[in-house]
Amino acid sequence: MFDFCLHVLTLACLYGLMALALNLQAGYAGLLNFGHIAFVGVGAYAVGIGRLAGWPLPLSMLAGVACAMLLGVAVARLGRNLASDYWGIATLAVAEIVRIVVLNQSGMAGGAQGISALPGPLDALPETAQPLAFAVLGLFAVALAAWLSARLAASRFGRALRLLREQPALASCLGYDLGRLKRSATLASAAVAALAGSLLAGYTHFVSPDYLLAAQTFLVWSMLMIGGAGRVAGVLLGTVLVQGVYSFVPLARDLLGLGSETVGALRLGLIGAILLLCLLWRSAGLLPERLRTLP
Amino acid sequence: MRIRFGITLAIALAMANTAHAVTLGAVLPLSGSSASIGEDQRRGIDMAVADINAKGGLLGAPLAVKIEDSADGATGALDAATKLHSIDKVPVVLGEYSSSVSIPLGQYLVKQGMVHLNIGSSSPAIRQIGASSFSLIGLDDLSAQFAAKDILGLGYRKVAFIAPNGAYGQGIDGQFKKYLQAGGGSVVAEVLYTPGQSSYRRELQQMQRSQPDVYVYSAYGQEAAVINRESFELGISKTPWYGIYLSMCTADTPAQIANGQIGMEVASLGSAGQAFAAEYQKRYGFAMKSSYSSYAYDGVMLAAAAIAQAKSADPAKVIAALDQLGASFAGATGKLALDADRQRTEQPYDKLAYEGGSLHAR
Repeated sequence: MFDFCLHVLTLACLYGLMALALNLQAGYAGLLNFGHIAFVGVGAYAVGIGRLAGWPLPLSMLAGVACAMLLGVAVARLGRNLASDYWGIATLAVAEIVRIVVLNQSGMAGGAQGISALPGPLDALPETAQPLAFAVLGLFAVALAAWLSARLAASRFGRALRLLREQPALASCLGYDLGRLKRSATLASAAVAALAGSLLAGYTHFVSPDYLLAAQTFLVWSMLMIGGAGRVAGVLLGTVLVQGVYSFVPLARDLLGLGSETVGALRLGLIGAILLLCLLWRSAGLLPERLRTLP
Repeated sequence: MRIRFGITLAIALAMANTAHAVTLGAVLPLSGSSASIGEDQRRGIDMAVADINAKGGLLGAPLAVKIEDSADGATGALDAATKLHSIDKVPVVLGEYSSSVSIPLGQYLVKQGMVHLNIGSSSPAIRQIGASSFSLIGLDDLSAQFAAKDILGLGYRKVAFIAPNGAYGQGIDGQFKKYLQAGGGSVVAEVLYTPGQSSYRRELQQMQRSQPDVYVYSAYGQEAAVINRESFELGISKTPWYGIYLSMCTADTPAQIANGQIGMEVASLGSAGQAFAAEYQKRYGFAMKSSYSSYAYDGVMLAAAAIAQAKSADPAKVIAALDQLGASFAGATGKLALDADRQRTEQPYDKLAYEGGSLHAR
């Protein structure tokens, strides 16, 4: 049971990183990125491609972050002249393009079969110590990202992002370069998401095009919407709730003596119900963003 | 005091009863696009458990199989495998169906020192999973070679090929083309379609332009249904259609559309296979939906035979028993004859035709 809880905690931390990364764009800056999973996939594939090329893991992870940031620049530039909803559709298309490229790139990216036997960051430790060590690493990473995210939200840059979200015309009048603000938010988000992707690939020792499915983006979005976009504690609460439902439904099924075929329906039904209830009664999430009011 | 003693005794007896009961694990796609195949695998497992328990169980106690949903993805499969490893503590796990899920699942199980029985994936990459992973299903090189020979034997030379753009489709495409060309045939159109689309009309029209002698396809149930319906609407179903794993291709297709298709399927002509098919029909009230139920059935039977031979559910002993049994075990899908890589080397196939709403030998 302990190992299973460590596994759930590790996955929650990795998804927490992805959700915090999305929060930088969607929560603070109001950028509707529906292709967020592309950054995660770039980070994950960097570990895989690095393994095939014989690179050390830290170099692969760094390369992943750098490539994701380059992709972030491209995505942000793509959005210069698009309204936010159209930009959201464009990001979805970018993520699909990345997925289709790796799906059909059998030489470098392993094609549909993906790349297996990937190195993990903690492989040097004894086998029995790895689950606990990975959970600690995940907790450390998510705590660091949460602290940096909260600091950023309270900074002048964070206030500028929220102004961009609420009153872009006013932000422009105050002298902010809106394009640069969007680009900076996207770059920061891409870096954190790629790091999460690298850690996910290192944890599962595998990467495949399935990691880049659009459904994964919407899973992270559901964490944000349930918990509360724009607030670090809300994002983390949403992550824990959604991951908890995903992982603990099979245990609940065992306790209730239900059939194995009910798990899929229960998972989707519960997350759908929570999302719907939140949208109806807590549209800003369970822990909504607290906006600063001036006296 | 007496009541407390009674309760303690009851708990002790219950624990003593369950202490020796063997529980196996299975990770199947019970939700997602492959759910109908996962459900059929589950039927095979249920039948094997019923058969074993009707004969007194395993190691003197009833056998159970804990079935988990992979949600048709690698992360879901790892969730399930972690639960089976750390909570249910099963020695053997059967699964999955998609190669891109079976590979990480198998790697995780091998890493934990557990036994992995592949009952549904046929990608050649399965061979590299690791030392405690065994395949009951012949990999794509066997099925593709059989299909290519069969098609050439029927006199067809120009083939239009369509399969899903995934681990399975890419694997069978490469192998099929290799064997067809080696036999003097050619692939005049080659399409790897995106799974989950609502229409494949564009892909079918692209294939139609190549004017093939035969359309060869291998597609999952729901997608095969769309392909078959649209080929019927476009009129290209008048050209012969050949299904690799025909039961999978026609499982969700209306009979009037699938009628006339030919193809190949894992053989169930042996006495064990026929007994399984008859029992399946009797138990569920319809003919076998796919051959994957029989692989799942054999998977449980093989694991039970290995545990019985080892007289223990300890994974290391089960692996040693499987190494011995693998060469000679014969089940509903025929003789396994596992090689040094623990992969099936003999796989009997049937040549089939779909007529009158069901599959028949041709």
